[in-house]
Formats: sequence, structure tokens, C-alpha cells
Amino acid sequence: MRKAIKAAFFGLISMAFVGSAIADITFVSWGGAYTASQQKAYIDTYSKGSSITVENYNGGLGEIKAQVEAGNVTWDVVDVLPDQAITGCDEGLFVKVDQSEFINDMVVPPVSDCVVPQIFWAYTAFYDKAAFPGKKPKNIKDFFDVKKFPGKRGIHTWANALIEMALVADGVKASKVYEVMSTPEGIDRAFAKLDTIKDHVVFWSAGSKPLELVSSGEVVMALAYNGRIGAAILSEGKNFEYIWDATVLEQEYLVAIKGGNEAEALEFMAHASTAESNAEQAKYIPYGPMRKSSIDIIKKGEPWFIKEGGNIDILPHMPTTPKVLKRAVIGDPVWWADNGAEVHERFGAWKGS
Amino acid sequence: MNQTQTSTGPILTTDGIPLKVSLKKAERINKIRAFLLVLPLLAFILITFLVPIGDMLARSVDDRQINTVFPKTFEVYKKWDRQGLPSEEVYKTMFFELKNSEGYAVGKASTRMNYSKSGWKSLLKKSKRKFKKIEEGPFKEQMIAIDKKWADPEYWLALGQMVDPTTMGYYLNAVDLKYDSSKNIVQQKENRRIYNKTWIKTFKVSLLVTLFCLLLGYPISYLLATLPMKYSNLLMICVLLPFWTSLLVRTVAWMVMLQQKGVLNNLLVMSNLLADENRFQLMYNQTAVVIVMTQILLPFMVLPLYSVMKTISPTYMRAALNLGASPMHAFYKIYMPNSIPGVSAGCLLVFIIAIGYYITPELVGGKDGQMVGNWIAYHLKTTLNWGLCASLGAILLAMMTVLYWAYNKIVGIENIKLG
Repeated sequence: MRKAIKAAFFGLISMAFVGSAIADITFVSWGGAYTASQQKAYIDTYSKGSSITVENYNGGLGEIKAQVEAGNVTWDVVDVLPDQAITGCDEGLFVKVDQSEFINDMVVPPVSDCVVPQIFWAYTAFYDKAAFPGKKPKNIKDFFDVKKFPGKRGIHTWANALIEMALVADGVKASKVYEVMSTPEGIDRAFAKLDTIKDHVVFWSAGSKPLELVSSGEVVMALAYNGRIGAAILSEGKNFEYIWDATVLEQEYLVAIKGGNEAEALEFMAHASTAESNAEQAKYIPYGPMRKSSIDIIKKGEPWFIKEGGNIDILPHMPTTPKVLKRAVIGDPVWWADNGAEVHERFGAWKGS
Repeated sequence: MNQTQTSTGPILTTDGIPLKVSLKKAERINKIRAFLLVLPLLAFILITFLVPIGDMLARSVDDRQINTVFPKTFEVYKKWDRQGLPSEEVYKTMFFELKNSEGYAVGKASTRMNYSKSGWKSLLKKSKRKFKKIEEGPFKEQMIAIDKKWADPEYWLALGQMVDPTTMGYYLNAVDLKYDSSKNIVQQKENRRIYNKTWIKTFKVSLLVTLFCLLLGYPISYLLATLPMKYSNLLMICVLLPFWTSLLVRTVAWMVMLQQKGVLNNLLVMSNLLADENRFQLMYNQTAVVIVMTQILLPFMVLPLYSVMKTISPTYMRAALNLGASPMHAFYKIYMPNSIPGVSAGCLLVFIIAIGYYITPELVGGKDGQMVGNWIAYHLKTTLNWGLCASLGAILLAMMTVLYWAYNKIVGIENIKLG
């Protein structure tokens, strides 16, 4: 009996070792509908041997830096924002990748040597059609005009995109926004514009919150991630309308963490960043692919968005169509990597005063 | 006669060794055994508690990064008189140190330099890329041609804060001060002064939460301790059930209750007690943080209070009443002093948890409910300014130590009772 237990015990131990010999990849992303779209688009279809565990995080480089510095890397592939892609690559937290496959097929050039393309997402203003029976808000000026459209506005608790939008609402051309922001007067001007709605704002920090705020009537308009608005309209049948003006486009990338299962991670990233995978993801969430050829695939395949009872055209919900791009601000991660901390502190002081 | 004999010579055991020595020996073995028993715990505390705190304290003053990446530049920099632009020599040294640097040192250094002056990060990155094409001097003009920031004395002056390998800069930053270029301590720019306000706010919220917890918790605990078992058990469950419910669930439930179109405001408007346009703003501000945190931390007040009150014998009160004291007087003179250990334990516990709170202020704090914990999280995750995080954390730790010390002086730490 005792022998049997002993055998079983050692058997278990050796199994544990064999188990860890097959490389697993831990894929870390933001959760919710976004991660679900990644799962369906290219995790479920991946068949190169490594099994993939999905984890959620809340952004930032804190955990990654801690793992790399402690030499105990448990994350392999992470979905990151562009300014973090820059900082992480500079500080040696990420593995450099071969970008020759996609570098000429991208809507904007990649922000660093460590990334493979994912999606464009956007900060967009939106409202519930029922809240405005008469005249409807049309542009970002209306969002900042509480006399013309009275009622509260939902905005996020950090400064990104708000500075850009405030400047456009104040009359700066979308293409000149970062030029103005690089002068101290430009930032003053943005804060002066934000002052005009200060008494009329409700702050949110979780991505699902602005939808709730608008649905419940707590606010009449809000800024939100375009994919969340799209999902609410497409999947839940909400009566929301986008304000496609001064939409701030942000990039999203995948990176491999240094010290993780680098080889497997890179192989998986190559699969996740093909034009097909990028396009496939748009079947489940209305974010814009970063590869030009993915957009062609979608155009040919419309109605592309998968829904029970008939697919739906996805392009009207995408932030990268020419119609939207004409009036959009393409977020500049380099500017934010430089000035983010300073502006954020000032934003914190503005919020609290 | 016998007695004097024993007091002169040492007492011996049967084998002739003095009793004292042999007792010590036996005790030493016991002591070692006892020590071995606590050793795992000691090692655990050392590794998971003291070492990280030590590391944090070290980070809060560490400023070697730049000095190891640009050592020569700093040598020549120190000779500069801080007037106008530095000499060609400074430019030249910086040029070669940047051009010849390898690996990720520059990236890390640029993150640090960016804390002193926003813009260093992209300046170094862009310059390193373009320096490859430049072979010979004069370097000053060529560097300025690459980026006109090289001609901005502000950037050079900002380096003056980093000449020493250790710095108090992070601590200064944490209280809205900073070094100027010649390392004098000056106030932070007005529109960036935010930490002092946050400290005051954090204290205010924690004190209010502690006070409200005490006001609400004291009567509840009294009831719990004095009611017959069958009712007090039910009441205890009412206290513990929320305690066992997830923090997030409770926070979100409060959002539903308190927001402007929420349950409370709707009820008030429906019953005509409140005009529709005057709905209370109870969510996404400091009021919300105090309300929600009070509810969440209430069990930490009730439980120590209850366990202390349980030990106060009801006969004391009866005796006081019998001797002619009014109920108020008897409560004030007899019951309250007896419950003080529980009050102190509860208050200290609630205050310490409240002062470092993070998730509730983040979710319901809105525009003016952010506490120090939220800024630590921001710098930890987004700006990677761990030096500032460490100094904020160290100040919190110091505050708690002072509080503990003051408490010990005034009330006495032996008066704390958790049960």
C-alpha cells in the first residue's frame, strides 16, 4: 500500500515536470469583449503546439517591469498601448521582432521595434438618440457647449485624448493639435476649454461605465472607447449615435516579454498579426485593423460582423474609415511618452480644484 | 544556622555543577528549540516584509542611473556655470556617450531624465538614431540642427538636479517641492501642485471614515454584546454578511444606490421630498468615498469593539446603578472606560486600512475623491516612476509610525485589545 502511494507520488511529480516541458504561452490582454474577439480570431485557431492561457490585466508596465526585474517572467505575450510599447522597448522589457512581414502594410508606421500590429481603437463622443428629440449634437464643439446642449458629460479620469478634443473644440485643426500641444500656451488653452464644462462632468475609469451613464440618463453625452459603443449598438441593440468628430485614434500592439518563452511567443505573434487574423477580429468587435490589406478583406467580405439572425456591415462602426479619418486626430504616443506624467499631474490638480 | 549556610555557597546539583549553570544549560537548549520553531516565521517576515520595505526605501533615494550612463558628461557638466548654453565640450562628451552607449541603459536613463524635464525621452531617442551619421565636430551646431531642444537651456539646467548618485528629489516631489538647477529647494509649478492637497484629503477622508465607523459601530457592538444570544447571532450575521461579500460588489451596489438617477434620489423625487432638478450629487466625489468606505470598513470597527464589550461584566453597570448613578453617568464612568481598548483597536485598524485605500476611491472618487493610493498606482503602472511611488509609500509608513508612537504615548499600546 505504502509503495503504491509512493509510486503515485513520484508519478505525479514527474508528470508535473513533463507538463512544464511543453512550452505554454500566457497571453495577457484587457478582458471583456475585446479579449473574447482575440480568442475567437486567432487564439482558438492557433495550432502550433503551444497551449495558450489567457489572463487579464489593467494596462501599464508595472507588473511587466516587476517580472523582468525579478527574473520571474510569467507573461509571454502582452497587449499594450503605444506609449507603453515605446517605453517598454526602450527599457529592454520587450523582445525585438522582425517587422519585415508587415512594415509596408500598415496604416501608420509601428511605434517601436518590439511590436506587431493589432488594432486602432478610438476615444469617441456619443449620445443616446432619445436624449435629444430635437436638435442633435454633431461635433466636438457641441460636446463642449453646455448652453446649446445642457446636461452632464461623461469623461474619463486621465488626460489622454481630452486635451486633443478640447483643442479641436476650441478651433484648432485636427492635424495641428500636437503642434499646439507642444507649446505651454497650447496646454493652457486646452485646460481653459476644459474649464468650461468642469461643473458639468461625471468621471469614469472603467470602460463599461460611460455606456451605463448614458443609458441611465446620468449624463446626456459621454466619451467612450468606440468598440464598446459599437458592441452596445450591434449586440445589445442600444439606440446610441456616434459623434465622429475629433475622434482620437489610439494604436494597440502585441509585444513579447523578455525572459518569457520568447521563441513560442514570437511564433504566436506572427500568427496573430497576419492580415487575415487582423481582419478576423473585426468579425467580433468593431475596432479598426492596423494592416491595410485587412481592411480590403473586410470590404470584400461585408456584412462582416457576426450576429445571430444575419450578419451586419461593420465598416460604419469602424474608426478607420476615410469619412472618420478626415476629422480624426491620430494619437501621438511619442508626445504622450514625453509629456504624459506632467500633463496628468496637471489634470489631477485641475480635477481636484 | 541552616539558612546562612545555603546563602554563602552556591547550590550544587548532584553531579557537582552549580544549579544556576546547569539550569542555564537546560534553558539554552529550550531556547534554541523555541528559536528553531519560530525560525520559519522569522525568515518569512524577513523575506516578504522587511526586505521589500528596505528595497523600497532604497529606491526612494536612488539616483545612480544617469550617473552610470553619462559619467563623463556629468564630470564636465559640473564645471559649467549654468549661464546660457553649456560649452562645446559638454555637447561633445554627451554626443559620444550617447552615440556609443549600448543596450537599454539610455532608455532607462531617459525615463529618469524625463521626470526632471518632459521631452528628454524623445530627444535622446531621436538623437541617438541621427548621431550615427555624424562623425566629427563641432558637435554643438550639429546637435542643435538635429533637434532645437538641444539649444534650450531648460533641458541642460534640468540635468543639474541629477548630479548626485542619491537624491531627496522624490521626497520633495511627494510634497510639491522640487530642486532647481543648482539644487536649491523650491516650490513646484503652481498647476502641478497636487500632492499636498492629496495628503490632506487622504487624512481627512480616513479620519472621517474612522469617526463615522465609530459612531455607527459603537451602538451596534453594544447591542451585539448585550442582546440575548438568539438575537445577537442574527445581528452578527447582518454584520458579517457584507464583510464576506466582495468589495467590488459592494462598491458597485453603492453606485446604483447613490448616483443622480439612482435608487435614493429616485425615491426622494418620487415622494416629492426633492425637486427633480435638485437631485443630490452623492456619487463620484469625496462624499461618495466617505460613505462607501465607512460601510466597507465598519466590520473592522465592530468586531474588536464587540469582543471587548463582551468581556465587560454586566454586574459593573448594575452595581453603579445600584449605588445611585444615573444611567448616563454610569455609562460614562463605568462602561466607556472599560470599552476603550476596543475603541482604540478599532479606530487604529480602520484608520490604517483607510489611509492606504485604493480601489474604492478609484471607482467612486470621481473628480475630488482620489487618495494617495491612487497616485501611487498611477506612477507604478503608467509613468514607471517607482522612485516617487517609493517615497509616497515611505511617507505613509513614516506617518503610521508617528501615529503609533503618539498613540502609545497617549493611550498606551498595552491598552489595545482585539478580544
